[in-house]
Amino acid sequence: MEPAVQVENLVKRFGSFTAVDGVTFSVERGEVFGILGPNGAGKTTTLEIIESLQKPTEGRVSVLGLEVQSNAAKVKARIGVQLQASAYYGYLDLTEILNLLGSFYPNKTPPKALLEQVGLADKSGSRISELSGGQAQRFAVAASLVNNPELVILDEPTTGLDPQARRNLWSLIREVNQRGVTVVLTTHYMDEAEILCNRLAIMDHGKILALDSPQNLINQLEASYTVKLTMDKPMTTAQLGSLNGGVEVVQSRELSREPGEQEKQAEDDAVSENTYLLRLANSPSALRGMLDEIAKAGLGLENLQITPVTLEDVFLELTGTELRD
Amino acid sequence: MVALVLADLKMMARNRQAIFWALFFPLMLVVVFGLFDFNGVGAADVAVIDKSGGPRAEIFLERLDGIEFLELEFDEDDPAKAREKITDGDLGYLIVIPEMFDDPAAQAQATGPAPVTLVYSTRNPDRNQLVDGAIRNLVSDIHSDGGPIVPAQLLTADVIQASEVDYFDNVLIGLLGLGIMTNSIISIAVRISTFRNLSILKRLLVTPLPIWKFFAAEITAHVLLALVQAGIILALGVFVFGGHVNGNLIWVLAVTALGSVVFLNIGFILSAWAKSPAAASGMGNAVALPMMFLSGTFFSTAALPWILPELSLALPLTPMLAALRDIAIDSEPIWETWPYLAALGGWVVATALAAVKVFKFG
Repeated sequence: MEPAVQVENLVKRFGSFTAVDGVTFSVERGEVFGILGPNGAGKTTTLEIIESLQKPTEGRVSVLGLEVQSNAAKVKARIGVQLQASAYYGYLDLTEILNLLGSFYPNKTPPKALLEQVGLADKSGSRISELSGGQAQRFAVAASLVNNPELVILDEPTTGLDPQARRNLWSLIREVNQRGVTVVLTTHYMDEAEILCNRLAIMDHGKILALDSPQNLINQLEASYTVKLTMDKPMTTAQLGSLNGGVEVVQSRELSREPGEQEKQAEDDAVSENTYLLRLANSPSALRGMLDEIAKAGLGLENLQITPVTLEDVFLELTGTELRD
Repeated sequence: MVALVLADLKMMARNRQAIFWALFFPLMLVVVFGLFDFNGVGAADVAVIDKSGGPRAEIFLERLDGIEFLELEFDEDDPAKAREKITDGDLGYLIVIPEMFDDPAAQAQATGPAPVTLVYSTRNPDRNQLVDGAIRNLVSDIHSDGGPIVPAQLLTADVIQASEVDYFDNVLIGLLGLGIMTNSIISIAVRISTFRNLSILKRLLVTPLPIWKFFAAEITAHVLLALVQAGIILALGVFVFGGHVNGNLIWVLAVTALGSVVFLNIGFILSAWAKSPAAASGMGNAVALPMMFLSGTFFSTAALPWILPELSLALPLTPMLAALRDIAIDSEPIWETWPYLAALGGWVVATALAAVKVFKFG
């Protein structure tokens, strides 16, 4: 069976700006495939070309075995799409919107069944403006399922939602996938990508930097742990450098911050000032070496947290920067 | 597509505020114009043909001239032409003083027509009554002064049955065109601009719905709305303020629908440039208001100064109003208005091509 999506050497330029720069990947049927990257990475442009909303400058895209460019209507009839920022008619209720969208397709799922599936059966007579952010996103997923699609494309489905609403949506996406629907989604949330996706493409500046299962991507890192140090006073660059002896990678949040961002960043991370992130290999000697260096420098250690590396560390490794929002 | 048209109509009906304001402006003008008494008793223009030329006729003319609300004209000498003018509404009255005016005895014995003939149309009954009474009294006075013998009949009123037309009828059709124009342009421009801002257009693009069906549904729903609006405006004008629609109402609505398509296309064009619904509304007004003044909504375009009468011919509202007035007021069949319909048809094609060229979904 042909892959659900096949993208080959895809390039999209807007004037002199290259939004997508030679991207190649395929999505197998039945999997949840994620594209992880910061805003402006080229994720949405890639999806819009797959959805035939935009034409590629170069390259080839096929969906469910059909060349997208020459079979746009046929492809659209078999896929479901949830756009990044898509509103619906304000003067129609949920059932009416689903009925209307369903009328555009040869086969449609009854609105009642769709609303039950996304837990909005009691809101069938409500309008979009009466829904919470999480409910509106769940409705957007329901709307993308109106034609009983073989492939669903979700563009940042959980952006802007509170943690509980995000988790609800993750469950919904898993349920949809368990019914055999292939899911392609974009996200800039590491945890979401790690939890939901069978395979993941990390994208930045229009290119795919890595593509594998989340666990394989993490396993590729030489470091196995992240160490968060909180010191009693700021460390100098030289002191930080001296820690390098037993530590494989050192990353200091404190040093990488812009002066103006310091306060906000500290707030975001719920950590005090003088906090440093370091990565170290899975070796007791590395940790001992680091603590020895701290003691030798006469620095006071206020807090120490050791956690396994995550996708965020993979991203840091690949791009040299933290994920931009 | 039927589902889309029905959904469009449902959305329009639920957007009550927009409907209210769309109708409010033309209806308010109908009320304002309806409350004015354009047909009040003003000066009456009277053509006089004096076939007698005698001294008694001279006294009659002198005293006629003394009646303040009569404006006498002596240029006309052909009664048939004068009657034609009265029929067309270009002249109010005609007084014909007969040859036998100075010989009441002969008149009394004559079996022919009455001595003085007053010709007028049924267009302005209040003023007719006043003019008829004043002239009848005057003729009676003149004959009383001249001696005991008076003709058996002092005055014959020759009444021409005119179709009921007055200034308000013209304005009512102007307001109909104005209402359809402003609502069609602004409603579609704001609606499409809103849809674009909310990514609703983009959402439709990811479905297999053919684009032409989207446009066709929007136009169908808006034309149906325009016909309902036309019905409300005409009903208010006719039933509340005594206006008249003499011609075939179906043809009036057909021209309304054709004109509405032109203005909807203009709305689509504006929506392509408007970055927000508020900008779309402003742009719609900027296009509609000049047409309101230049296309003869409230007064004849002939009254416009400079080259504006010629300019008005180049605007789509002008042929729409001309066709509507020919049909509604002068009872002409729709095919008689073909030059205007051809002009509107040209506008439909030109604006549709421009809309397709400039329209943007994203």
